[in-house]
Amino acid sequence: MSGKMRILTSVVVIGVVAAGLGAWIIRGPGPLDFAGGTKVALADYRAGKPTGVPAKLEKASLVERGEYLAKAADCMVCHTKPGEKDYSGGLAFKLPFGTLYSTNITPDKDTGIGNYSDQDFLNAVQHGKRRDGARLYPAMPYTSYTFMTDEDVLAVKAYLFSLPAVRAKAPDNTLSFPFNQRWAMIVWSAVFNPDTRFAPDTSKSPEWNRGAYLAEALAHCGECHTPRNLGLALDNRKKFAGAITAGWRAFNISSDKATGLGNWSDQDLISYLSLGHAPGHGSASGPMGEAVDRSFSQFAPEDIRAIVAYLRSVPPQPSPELPATTAPVAPASHKEGITADARGKMLFAGACASCHGWSGESPVSPMATLTGTWAVNDPAATNVAQIVISGTKRHTPDGALSMPAFGEAYTDDEIAAVANYVTARFGTKGSKLTAKDVAGLRQQTAE
Amino acid sequence: MHMATTLTVNGEQKTFDAPPDMPLLWVLRDILGMTGTKFGCGIAQCGACTVHVDGKAVRSCVLPVSAVSNRTVTTIEHVGSTPAGAKVQKAWLEAEVIQCGYCQSGQIMAAAALLATTPNPDDSDIDAAMAGNICRCGTYVRIREAIKQAANGRQS
Repeated sequence: MSGKMRILTSVVVIGVVAAGLGAWIIRGPGPLDFAGGTKVALADYRAGKPTGVPAKLEKASLVERGEYLAKAADCMVCHTKPGEKDYSGGLAFKLPFGTLYSTNITPDKDTGIGNYSDQDFLNAVQHGKRRDGARLYPAMPYTSYTFMTDEDVLAVKAYLFSLPAVRAKAPDNTLSFPFNQRWAMIVWSAVFNPDTRFAPDTSKSPEWNRGAYLAEALAHCGECHTPRNLGLALDNRKKFAGAITAGWRAFNISSDKATGLGNWSDQDLISYLSLGHAPGHGSASGPMGEAVDRSFSQFAPEDIRAIVAYLRSVPPQPSPELPATTAPVAPASHKEGITADARGKMLFAGACASCHGWSGESPVSPMATLTGTWAVNDPAATNVAQIVISGTKRHTPDGALSMPAFGEAYTDDEIAAVANYVTARFGTKGSKLTAKDVAGLRQQTAE
Repeated sequence: MHMATTLTVNGEQKTFDAPPDMPLLWVLRDILGMTGTKFGCGIAQCGACTVHVDGKAVRSCVLPVSAVSNRTVTTIEHVGSTPAGAKVQKAWLEAEVIQCGYCQSGQIMAAAALLATTPNPDDSDIDAAMAGNICRCGTYVRIREAIKQAANGRQS
């Protein structure tokens, strides 16, 4: 080999090693690496059955089992545009570099997945590969679904194929360069898709393993609650530390006592997941409200408990941007407490006080109580502004309780004023939102 | 799904069948026949449907009946038997507050709840308590005057 060739080869080798090392550093640990125990293949695990459906559905038909799993994986929320047919796609995800539209996953042969074979479906769900060979963008959480067993993925397929075919073509994505280069997802996927099935951890209980499977493979909690790295993949060094997704803050769900779930009781967590409300902690709205309505509220009670057991084991991650404790109840009189934002106070008096009260403890329902919620204690006021814009609706066994959407009635400036007043009065530190911030939040919301 | 519900309304126990998510306003008007409480906007933004639950002013149009099953409800039909309500109604007549009247049962309920907790309200107290009760005839000036009269017990 000539001297030149040797130098060139060295440079290429160094480049490849550096790129590989960089990718390895950015990628970080996998979603279950924190547990640290001995992993065994699913077939070799005898202590319990972490995959599949709960015991009461063991004897159910393939379609019924698939329905349970499709709900547990929460396919519907992303694959349905509000007001359109279930699973017919078209929901817009507004990203900083363009808009992505979810696809039609009804069995329509032209516009849906009617021509997908079992292997085609497995390729899409576990590997992020479309039937025509094109790569999926990771807005489809195949890096989570990849942990699902083939059997469970195919049960979901059987359920989807039992639904009516809907003819609906999603609009074309409007991503800018370089994000419109789908082929680049081959590289992304090679680095960031673990592309492996769930492997139980023998050092943990069967309940924990069930919870891990449900939370990681199906419910894909981390997709919203784990911050993203430079490659826009989940950064599991900060697992469940909270993140902004689609314009809403998904709060810290690690076991951190101050800003995570460490101080929530088991009953609080069970109640929040199955009903969307935990006394003193607030109610699920926005994307989490949808996750509760379409997914968690349909879980078997033992599956909710398994998720709770799993969440408890996730190491604490502090959220330094949040206060160490939530604020106590505000004074009952409007005259006491924070009165700095006169405009915000005027709006609150007219539009909010009749349900939320001046103390933050609702005279109407504990579900409308603001005291103790992270939304009003977040100095960024992200979710307060979003709930004011889009309203919220909680479904419970006793019926629904809703707050109207004010996004059309109030200007960005007014929404900023009322959010700043609400966070100052009921939270630890008032926000400083501007009309521009509110306009930005409106633009990020999926629709 | 209907279920038997028992409510204490205006001091009387009422038992009826209603879906648990039926708004209290529907129960009051359509099942119990108390039509003094009005439907306005249906989204807790106008105040026409205001009633008292455990003495506090709430919007009955968004309140599921299941949420009040163990609580005490007072409506415009009965508020005159409370000390604050009696004063408010008297002042309302003396100041001739009412124009078309549609919002006024809600206005009176909000004012009575205010006086029960704040016997001598100043303008900012009136703003804070009454801002959510809208009057399209624009009787706000007379409402404010009547609340002050009711508080002071003086004649106009």
